[in-house]
Amino acid sequence: MSKSNENIIVAEDLSISYDLHRERKKLIALQNISLEIKKGEFVVLVGPSGCGKTSFINAISGLIPKSGGSVKVRDVEVTAPGPDRAMVFQDYALLPWRTVEANIRLPYELQNLGLSEEEKQARVKNALELVDLVGFEKSFPYELSGGMKQRVGIARALATNPDILLADEPFAAIDAMTREAMQAEMERIVMETGQTCVFITHSIDEAILLGDRVVVISYRPGQIKEIVDVDFPRPRMSNSEVKISKKYAELRDHIWNLVKDEAMQTTRGE
Amino acid sequence: MAKVSDQIKYETDDPNRIQDVGWTLKEIWRRTRGIVVTSINLIIFFILWELATTYGNINSLFLPKASAMFQELWVGMTTRAPEGAVFSGSILDHFLHSFKNLMTGLAIACAIGIPGGLLMGGNKYIESILSPYVWALASLPRIALVPLFILFLGFTTTMQVTIIVLSAVFPIIINAWAGVKTTEKSLLAAAKVFGANRTQLYYKVVLPYTLPFIISGIQQGIGRGLIGVVIAELFGGSNGLGYLIQRSADTFNTAMTFAVLLLLIVMSLSLINFTRWLEAKVAPWRNVNHL
Ligand SMILES: Nc1ncnc2c1ncn2[C@@H]1O[C@H](COP(=O)(O)OP(=O)(O)OP(=O)(O)O)[C@@H](O)[C@H]1O
Ligand SMILES: [Mg+2]
Repeated sequence: MSKSNENIIVAEDLSISYDLHRERKKLIALQNISLEIKKGEFVVLVGPSGCGKTSFINAISGLIPKSGGSVKVRDVEVTAPGPDRAMVFQDYALLPWRTVEANIRLPYELQNLGLSEEEKQARVKNALELVDLVGFEKSFPYELSGGMKQRVGIARALATNPDILLADEPFAAIDAMTREAMQAEMERIVMETGQTCVFITHSIDEAILLGDRVVVISYRPGQIKEIVDVDFPRPRMSNSEVKISKKYAELRDHIWNLVKDEAMQTTRGE
Repeated sequence: MAKVSDQIKYETDDPNRIQDVGWTLKEIWRRTRGIVVTSINLIIFFILWELATTYGNINSLFLPKASAMFQELWVGMTTRAPEGAVFSGSILDHFLHSFKNLMTGLAIACAIGIPGGLLMGGNKYIESILSPYVWALASLPRIALVPLFILFLGFTTTMQVTIIVLSAVFPIIINAWAGVKTTEKSLLAAAKVFGANRTQLYYKVVLPYTLPFIISGIQQGIGRGLIGVVIAELFGGSNGLGYLIQRSADTFNTAMTFAVLLLLIVMSLSLINFTRWLEAKVAPWRNVNHL
């Protein structure tokens, strides 16, 4: 892994809250999150539904304001989105009136990445091949299945070749086989390009296979419960030893228990 | 670059995935059944009407024969009034007058309503300043304003067009406004993440999202505008389809009255179907009928 010692994302005592106008209250989604992410690192966030994972990466992307503390990217306080950060959205967020290709090209129209037309075409083609949607360039999102839409969202983010990739459950709607292949691709891309990745998932296997660190977030208010280091050598996806190792089972068990405690609280409605 | 498909086989690899359905009888029927059923339905309706008025004991002053109505319509649409006539008995003359007014009114209503609605959706201050007036005027039955506008403008075409504009403009404003307000937040978020500034957010997301709303606004505007046309002409004026209805009823020419009513129905349905078609054309994602 091309992990360096240089911090690229630093969250300090970060809190995020939402106004609930109807009830004249505010909901604290995340409280006092402090996390340092190194350049080239692959950080996976896990935690029960509604614990604030999406809120956290939205704060890194600059989409939502913070209510306390700070998030810095390369020592600069985040106030708005920037071309160094791309995002894969949990709900795909594809423009329904644009074809697959036009959706992937959207970032090129919105910002000047200094790319030539050939370069753009090559990148779009690459991204389409990567998510295996060649032949669907001219399809509209409403003609695609959920998993295919999600893959378009992934292609759109990858085509910008960002320094930081924020991925919100990018493989959630994708079938197990495709998912495994995409995980391998994701690992390879991140290794090759030295991208920093903040990745949200509900799958503990995915978290261990992809993450250098797995951050377990607790429920209400969302706080960091534990950070689990995963130090299997890479590439892991193609290494069948990893999944059957004793360490893997232990890690899996450990994270599972951490998340389970939280999930139990969720269902009890605390 | 290693493709995912090198590792597993996909649906996209199957050349038979998209098959040619061809023209089966079933497919032809599926596409034409609407028109066929409606035509048969209407033919039966008019035949029954004709039979009832021919053999039944119905006063033709109240219900003319269907054939008489069609005859009036045909004659009225194929003749023009002679040069310099004071009153035209030609339906076509009155139709052209009404249609021109309707189109002028709709054009003005769009010119005011679309930017107005977009501004109200896009700017909180404009919204809070204008919304009470919009709601007040939108909820006021427009017919109540006719006497006032006759007072202001007399029995003129300007008065008629004004009534049409007032009838049609509010659904257009309100729909455009709602379109902007309901633009999906996640689409805005995606555009922002990938670098959209404020102007780009409007051009690349809000406007395309709002376009089908604007078209349904125009569609409602056509319906309302047509009411405006007839009302304005019924109340004041010496031409137009509304006036012709009044006049033909006054002169006991019921066949003519029915002919004009039929023409109004056809005109309204054509315009509304045109906007439906337009909506399906510009926003195919809005009516996906898989479920
Ligand atoms: N726009 C909003 N307005 C009000 N509350 C919000 C808003 N967005 C999120 N929340 C609340 O903040 C909390 C955290 O939401 P968030 O979407 O970050 O959770 P999450 O961890 O991503 O959940 P999931 O795994 O289900 O995607 C939730 O309790 C949610 O109700
Ligand atoms: Mg989420």
